[in-house]
Amino acid sequence: MLRRVLAWMAAVLAGVALGAASAWGAMSIGGASFGQEVGQWTTNRATGSTAADPYTRAIVARVGLLALSSREAIYFNLDRDDRGEPLSESCIYELTGRELDARWWSVTLYADDNYLAQNSDHAASIDASHIPSGRWSARIAPVRGDATYWLSSREARRNFSLTLRVYNPQRDFRPNEETLPQLTRISCAGEAA
Amino acid sequence: MNIGKYIWAALAIAVISHFAFIHAAPRVMMNVAIKRVSGAGANQWQFADRVTPLSRQIVRPSPDFAYSACSYDLSDGPVVITATPWNAYWSLSLYADNSDNFFVIDDREARYGAEITVVRAGRPHPEGASMVVESPSGRGIALIRRLAPDLGNYNAAAQVAREDVCASVASLTPAS
Repeated sequence: MLRRVLAWMAAVLAGVALGAASAWGAMSIGGASFGQEVGQWTTNRATGSTAADPYTRAIVARVGLLALSSREAIYFNLDRDDRGEPLSESCIYELTGRELDARWWSVTLYADDNYLAQNSDHAASIDASHIPSGRWSARIAPVRGDATYWLSSREARRNFSLTLRVYNPQRDFRPNEETLPQLTRISCAGEAA
Repeated sequence: MNIGKYIWAALAIAVISHFAFIHAAPRVMMNVAIKRVSGAGANQWQFADRVTPLSRQIVRPSPDFAYSACSYDLSDGPVVITATPWNAYWSLSLYADNSDNFFVIDDREARYGAEITVVRAGRPHPEGASMVVESPSGRGIALIRRLAPDLGNYNAAAQVAREDVCASVASLTPAS
């Protein structure tokens, strides 16, 4: 009798643990792959929407709670470079872009805990109000060097990511590989030139 | 002992609890966020410190915005929310307790500021209220974003934010 009770308790505990682990896995792994791929970026038009499915809601709650619906803003995330490798503080990248059909946009760098990297560089974000119209280029590296626009990856360590926010996109805003900023890995520490 | 039935039971419980966790996660995280922004109580604005690497209230905050947040609670009836206009982009958005962004208005639609009355969905609308917004939940978060990418603009936004209102209608109505 006691063995049977213990077996049922073990089954319940194992079931709950498995359910919790698979849910967390879906929210974590799914966060990197959910939504629609647009060039190097991923986006999900259901973010913040009352029509979002439970998985989208759960993923957004983990990585972007209080996001606006796509009527107001569209969010794009990027966590791999042009060679498909995770972004790393030990590498230097170049982000190039051009004017977007929107009222305002920004690109912000987040460490893998989904908060700003723990540095005092005041270079976590670049935005449309500081960049003249036309083509632009920004360096992503732990130090600024001679770059005009810079996103500091100091203390961002490995697996950091970028979020592109596009506010009040115009009706003819058509995000694609050409219109969204493109990330290129320039070099990594210890890598043969 | 036949362990097959225990394995099947564990798998069935795993499936049920998987969906329960997925369904509950946004509500749990919103509950944490509501508690964090209602430090001084519900139905009042909190102007957030400038976003820095030390900001840990909400994930993926934008350092380009000055945020004001109010955790609204409709248990004492409707809540009046106003947003004072700002000289650049600003918006007022409402989030239900399941994290849905069910309402947003920005400076293009409300150039001279916004005033809304939030009521629980299905409840009567107060007389004379100009813009009534129905909330699908009794609690939630109102958020004002003001574009302020530098310290000077952030400090100016802090001054403007003092004029914002988040208060229950009952607390604004003079006792007879």
